[in-house]
Amino acid sequence: MALPQPGPDAASRAALRFIQRILPGVDAVEAGPLSDPAFPRTDPPQLSAAPTLDGSRMRAETVQGEPEARFAAFLDGTQSVRIVARHGGVPIVLGIVAAGVRARVDRRLIAWTGSAPRVERRLYLPFAYAPALSFEGDATFGVVDTTDAALGELPSRHPAALLESAIKSVRRDRERLESALAEAWCAACDEPICIDGGIASNPRVASSALAVGVVKTHNTIHADGPDLELVLGLAQGERTTPFRIESGGRAQVTSWYLRLRDNRGHDATWGLVRIEACATVTTAEEVDRISRWVLAEGAPLALPDGRWDKMSYGVRNSEEFLRAIA
Amino acid sequence: MTGQALGRVVATERRPNTPHQFHFWTAVTSPVGIGTIVRVDGEHPVDGQLPKIYGAVIEGFSYSDLVSPMHDVLGHDGEPSSAGFAPTERTEIRLYTAAVLRMIPEEPLQPVPMGSVFLADENDVAVALRMDSYLRDGASTGIPIGIYHAGGTDAPIYLDADFLVGPEAAHLNITGVSGLATKTSAVEWLLSSLFTHFPKEKGTIAAVAFNVKGPDLCYLDQPGRIEPADEAMYEKMRVPAKPFDNVRYYAAYDAGGYNLNTLRSNDALLHNVQPLTWGLREVLQYAEVLLNKDDVDAKADAVIDFIRDKIAGREFRDERLARRRYKVDSFAELDEWFRDVLAMLEEANSESYRTHHVATIRKVRNRLTNIALRCAGLVTAEGTVSDLPFGSFEDRGVYVVDVALLEEDAQDLIFTRIVSKLREHLERRNLGVDHVVVFVDELNKYAATEGPETYVRKMLLDIAERGRYLGLVLFGAQQFRSQVHRRVVGNSGTSLFGRMDADELAAPGYAVLSQAIKTKLSTLEKGQLMVRHPHFTQPVFIRFPRPAVMQGREGVELFPQAAEVSLDAAVTRSLRVLDPSISLEWVKQQIALREDDEVIQARNATVLAHPRDVKAFFASRMRPLAPVRAEAPKQRPVSIKLPVGDDPYGF
Repeated sequence: MALPQPGPDAASRAALRFIQRILPGVDAVEAGPLSDPAFPRTDPPQLSAAPTLDGSRMRAETVQGEPEARFAAFLDGTQSVRIVARHGGVPIVLGIVAAGVRARVDRRLIAWTGSAPRVERRLYLPFAYAPALSFEGDATFGVVDTTDAALGELPSRHPAALLESAIKSVRRDRERLESALAEAWCAACDEPICIDGGIASNPRVASSALAVGVVKTHNTIHADGPDLELVLGLAQGERTTPFRIESGGRAQVTSWYLRLRDNRGHDATWGLVRIEACATVTTAEEVDRISRWVLAEGAPLALPDGRWDKMSYGVRNSEEFLRAIA
Repeated sequence: MTGQALGRVVATERRPNTPHQFHFWTAVTSPVGIGTIVRVDGEHPVDGQLPKIYGAVIEGFSYSDLVSPMHDVLGHDGEPSSAGFAPTERTEIRLYTAAVLRMIPEEPLQPVPMGSVFLADENDVAVALRMDSYLRDGASTGIPIGIYHAGGTDAPIYLDADFLVGPEAAHLNITGVSGLATKTSAVEWLLSSLFTHFPKEKGTIAAVAFNVKGPDLCYLDQPGRIEPADEAMYEKMRVPAKPFDNVRYYAAYDAGGYNLNTLRSNDALLHNVQPLTWGLREVLQYAEVLLNKDDVDAKADAVIDFIRDKIAGREFRDERLARRRYKVDSFAELDEWFRDVLAMLEEANSESYRTHHVATIRKVRNRLTNIALRCAGLVTAEGTVSDLPFGSFEDRGVYVVDVALLEEDAQDLIFTRIVSKLREHLERRNLGVDHVVVFVDELNKYAATEGPETYVRKMLLDIAERGRYLGLVLFGAQQFRSQVHRRVVGNSGTSLFGRMDADELAAPGYAVLSQAIKTKLSTLEKGQLMVRHPHFTQPVFIRFPRPAVMQGREGVELFPQAAEVSLDAAVTRSLRVLDPSISLEWVKQQIALREDDEVIQARNATVLAHPRDVKAFFASRMRPLAPVRAEAPKQRPVSIKLPVGDDPYGF
């Protein structure tokens, strides 16, 4: 559980010192980390029906067989965003991203030795609105221009918009780290890895039979109409028939919904995860097999994390690990 | 330094490190436990030197990332058995608190810095416990007490002879529950070690052990069974695994006066068992030990002083008394003197004798003659003295005084007199050795915190407080340290703790120990001890080898106590030690017409004298018998035959 932080942490203070060396007049901002690193939501809630693999209507299937623990590792990434200073009205954002693989050896989770966990500390600055801020980073702090044309449309000068674009950049960096580590695992190992989130962003990972993505958030539900009812009504241990997800710029993957825990007394998505696997996973047997792996991770509970209904203990352990080193 | 780090120092604002205590975590599988000695290698130099901190683990914590036990219950649906099937074990921490043993450099004294934690190796242990100061080549005063074991480290732990035997500090106290064979065994082992490693330049040393219960100390000269693990410890500590070479036993007789009152009375072991008998003079010196304070008021004390100064062992003349000249060397002779004095007073119708009132004299007579009865077997009526060899103690000799079967009064008397004599001789430097270790078990009884002031307690306090200047060292043992006089345990430089009772550990004296140390103390195995020594800033846990002497229980089975026998058999047994040719028949012939007292006196004198011709000496100690006169042959009565006549009844 994260303890309340009364003031800037060591990384923020270091970042501030770094900036003040370059811009002595910059104003320090006394603020803790943004409470919800996912803020602002980039994906508004939406329904996006996806075709089932066999072209039939979506069905609820009971996962056949007993849960079996097959994941040899868990991958997760973290991001932390802080406004450490402002230059005029421009927020200077410190983003710390980290990603790591926790390998399971003799039922214990340890850092995967194949590729070290990665931590990056960067300052996210809108060069376009504050030319004075267009300085270069050093070994400790990299600098990212959040108004780089390559990132798309120029954000508004509004401080909130600048913050939002910084956060998007931070998220991109996190995904990049995660993706690199997932790719390294798939290249070096021959056992499955459980990845927190989707796998479609990296084609190499998405095409690996070892990578299994477990998506916990449901801003986009890949079902509509009666299928939506079916998804939200899945009982514990049930899954949907697999469907194909193919979105612009992302690799094609096979996906299905799986209810990990009985959601009686909770909301409809409680205990509900969406699984992503490589597109070659097509048969019910393969889908059941991977579902059994995910179901096996139901214990130990990921408490006290509030997402414990969907989160595996391995992923929580990865998060804790990254929090400690980042 | 070598070795792989087994932990990291951690400190938080809530739980900071201090100059005397620090925290570190380890892997779950690390061999660290309570009592383990560790070394911290600092990472930033202080005054140009990378600091090294040595500590002993005093507390341990373990917890997982669970916030509430309920989470674990929920995770396993309330079924503990299903926890074993979880694919992943929860992350668990082993967090330890260690008390600082030593910091290098010692100045400036700073809080323990962050750094890697290593298991202390043998050299580290020596440095941590400051043993390096007294284990110098050629000038070592180290006395091995046991082996410290942790992980792959087996390091001998040494006590400093200067702090065990004096003059810097002295005395040793050992406490622990009964029945684990730890206290006596530890002392037996430590005496072996002390005798082996006591530095020559410190002089000679001997031990006097009081066997106060059972057969514990009755077989110190007999080899015991030891395990290979014990042998390895002996070898590592360079102490020969063998019984004591030079042991002499002393035991009083039983009330009958002719059977030794000891469990070591088997014929096979009598060669080094000597009777312990004292006469009037020896007892009078310590009469106060046996006399009730209420009895011995100033007036009675004056009579006793008069007897001690004017009567006992001296020529005494008084024309008014029946015998006029007295030489009182025994209780029997003293009683004759009393009788004559009282008779004279009665005859003269007087109420005082040399200013002493007749009632006081009667009272003192009653009390003193009663001593001979209360300490029968120890105190001989005829005054024969068989004592420890004060003045000719031998280096590395062990003198065991077996008082286990004696009455409490006799125990007190023996105890007080022997220790007082040791002290006197050490003061005069004529005991025969420079240092004496006195081992006393059951200090709860002899030096209790509460209860009446006794001579034994006074004497123990005296040893504890002043003995180290004389070379008189107390090794005391008891079950409840908290019930022993504070000045006795407080003056004990070295303290050993075996397994402890929880009630005892709850006493205020143990408040300085952490709960984990207390828990460990209450679960110590046989052969494990916690050691406190002036050089060690924290207690150290060690394992000591089984003593290489026969244990009491085994000894009793192998050498059963001789049955109580008749006077002639007892005399035969005593004399046969001096002359194996002496037979029961010969003894029977010699004592056939003698009074028991006379025989016992002759036996005692012979045993004491160790004469070359035992038979002749023994015979000479008895009064010659009057020659048997040849009687004239008796004449057979002859019947008188009378003429019968006509008497029909005549013969």
